[in-house]
Amino acid sequence: MGAIEKQRNILDFTLSSLGRRKGKNIALVVVYTFVIFLLASVLFFTHSLKKEAFLILQDAPEMTVQRLLAGRQDLIPTHYIDTIRQIRGVQSVAPRLWGYYYDAMSGANYTLMVNAELNDRAGEIIIGNGVSMRSMSGKRNQALRRNDIIPFKTYDGSVLTLKVRGLLPFASELVTADLILVSEADFRKLFSIANDQATDLVLNVRNAKELSTIAAKITQIHPDTRPILREEILRTYDAVFDWRGGVIFMVLSGVFFAFIILAWDKATGLSAEEKREIGILKAIGWETSDILLMKFWEGSAVSMAAFFMGIFLAYLHIFLASSILFEPVLKGWSVLYPSFRLTPYISVYHIATLFFLTVIPYTVVTIVPSWRSATIDPDSVMRM
Amino acid sequence: MIRLQNVRKVFNADKANEFVAIEGVNLSIDSHGATVLKGPSGSGKTTLLSILGCMARPTSGRIMLKEREITSLPERFLTEVRRETFGIVFQQFNLIKGITALENVMLPAYPNGEKHASLKKRAMELLDLLNLIGKAFSKVEWLSGGEAQRIAIARALINNPAIIIADEPTAHLDTRLSREFMEIMRQLKKEGKTLLIASHDPIVYDSTVIDRIVEIRDGKIVSSGDIP
Ligand SMILES: Nc1ncnc2c1ncn2[C@@H]1O[C@H](COP(=O)(O)OP(=O)(O)O)[C@@H](O)[C@H]1O
Ligand SMILES: [Mg+2]
Repeated sequence: MGAIEKQRNILDFTLSSLGRRKGKNIALVVVYTFVIFLLASVLFFTHSLKKEAFLILQDAPEMTVQRLLAGRQDLIPTHYIDTIRQIRGVQSVAPRLWGYYYDAMSGANYTLMVNAELNDRAGEIIIGNGVSMRSMSGKRNQALRRNDIIPFKTYDGSVLTLKVRGLLPFASELVTADLILVSEADFRKLFSIANDQATDLVLNVRNAKELSTIAAKITQIHPDTRPILREEILRTYDAVFDWRGGVIFMVLSGVFFAFIILAWDKATGLSAEEKREIGILKAIGWETSDILLMKFWEGSAVSMAAFFMGIFLAYLHIFLASSILFEPVLKGWSVLYPSFRLTPYISVYHIATLFFLTVIPYTVVTIVPSWRSATIDPDSVMRM
Repeated sequence: MIRLQNVRKVFNADKANEFVAIEGVNLSIDSHGATVLKGPSGSGKTTLLSILGCMARPTSGRIMLKEREITSLPERFLTEVRRETFGIVFQQFNLIKGITALENVMLPAYPNGEKHASLKKRAMELLDLLNLIGKAFSKVEWLSGGEAQRIAIARALINNPAIIIADEPTAHLDTRLSREFMEIMRQLKKEGKTLLIASHDPIVYDSTVIDRIVEIRDGKIVSSGDIP
C-alpha cells in the first residue's frame, strides 16, 4: 500500500483527464504562458541592463572633469591638466576625445572615440557590431567589412574617408554596438577641434577616500569645471533603470490582474461535467483529499508547463531577439542604439519570485472550487 | 450484515418544501443473499439504497454494519467503509467520459495505493470475466448500454466488496440484456456476494436469483418477507 503508488495512480489519471478538456486547458496555458513571458521579459531585461551598465561603469575612470560654458558642456583646454596634476593625491590625468556622429543615411547616432592604439594609424577605424553606415563597397555584412572605406562628413563640409581596420570584440554590446574608434588626428579633423582642447579629462587618484576633497580642489582652481565621480554615475544609472523597469511593471500589473480574473473564472467555474466527475469519484470511494490531490496535480501541470514555456520564450525574446517588444519604452536614454543584444544575466531570485507570484496562487485558485464540490454528499450521484 | 433501526430521512428539513422520504424503517440484511427493494417510482428506493450504501446519512435512526455503529463515523472513515464494503452500479452507470473502459474500472482502486501493474492485471481479469476484453481500450462513450453497464459492474467489483448495490439496473436494458444482467448477478451471488437491488421490473424481482423482496411505498416498508 504505497503512498507513492497512490500519488502515481492519481497523477496518471490527472494527466489523462487534462487531455480530455483540451480546449479549456490549451486556452489557459496560452494566456498563462503569455503573462509569464511578459513578466519574465521585463525582469530579464531590466536586470541585464543594470548589470551591463554596471560592468561598463566599472571600467570607467574614478573621476571625469568637464568644462562648463553657460551651464553646458564645452571643450576643455588641455593646459588644465598641468594644474590638476599638481593637486596632492592625483595619480594621473589624461585628456579624452569623444563625441557623437549623426549619420543621416542610416539615421543613427554613433559614438566616436579616440583610441591611442590608432594614433600612428591615421585614416583607419575600428567599428562595433551595430555600426551600419553605408561603405563605399556597399557591403552589409559586418564580418566582411574589413578594409571597407566609409565616408564621413567633416564639420567644415568636406568628406573624410576612413578605412575599417577591424571589428570590436563584444563583451558588452550595449556599449560597443554603436562605437567607432578613430585616431586623434582624424577626430580633430572631423570635428574641427584645436590641438590644445579635449572633450574631458579623466583622473586616477591614489586613495578613493580623497575623491571628494580632490574634486573640491579642482573646482576651486578652475571654477568653470565640473568633476563627476563614478559613484554618482552608478547611482544615477541605477535610478534610471529602476524607474524604467517600474513603468513597465505598472503596465504589466494590469495584464497580470486581467490574467488573475481570467484564471479565476476559468479555474473556478467548474463545468457541470467536472462537478459530475467529482461526484462520481466520491461515490466510488475517493476521499475529499484524493480529489484535491488530483486537482492539485492538474493545476500544477498547467501552471508549470506555462511557467517554463514563458521563461523560455522570454529568454529568447530578450537575449536573442533583441527585446523587440520593449524597444520603444526602455531605450533611448542617451543615444539611439542601432540594435544590440544583451548578454544574458538571470537571477535565481527573480525566477523564484515569479514562481511564487504565479504558479502558487494559480494552483491554490484551482483547488478552492474543487474543494467546495468535493465536499458535497455522494448520494447526489445516485440521482444523476 | 446491515441493520437499520428506526431510520428516517428528511429532505429540506425545516423549510417550506420539507419532504419526508423515509420513515420508521427497520430492516436487517443478511450476508450472501439477494434482496430486492421493490416499489413504485418516488417511493424512496434510491434514498434507502444511498443510506444502506453509506452514501447518505439518515436524519435520525442508526445503521449497524457488521455489528459496528457507522451512523456517527466521520466522513473519512465512511468513505473508507464505502470503498471497501460496497460496489455500486448506478442507474445511469455514471462512467467517466473521455477515458478508457479499463481506466474507469481501475478508478475506485486508485486511493488504495496498489501497484499500477497489478491493478491493471486485476481489472483486465474482471473485464475478461464480463466478456469485455475487446472493449478495454475503448472510450466509454462509444459503448452500447449493455456494455456500459457491464463496465459499471466491473468497476463495482474492482475493490472486491462484500456487498453489491444496483439501482434500477434494468431500466435502460431490453429483455435479453436484462436477463443477462440477472445471470451475472446469479454468478456473483454464487461467489458469496450480498446483493441489494432496487427495481420495479418483474424480470428482476421474479427472478430465481432473488431470495427476498422488500416492498416500500411512500417511504415506509409495507412488507419485508422472504420468498416462500
Ligand atoms: N435531494 C432531494 N431533495 C428533495 N427531495 C428529494 C431529494 N431526493 C429525493 N427526493 C424525493 O424523495 C422521494 C423519494 O425519492 P427516491 O428515493 O429517488 O425514490 P425512488 O428511487 O423510489 O423513485 C421522491 O419524492 C423525491 O422527489
Ligand atoms: Mg430511484
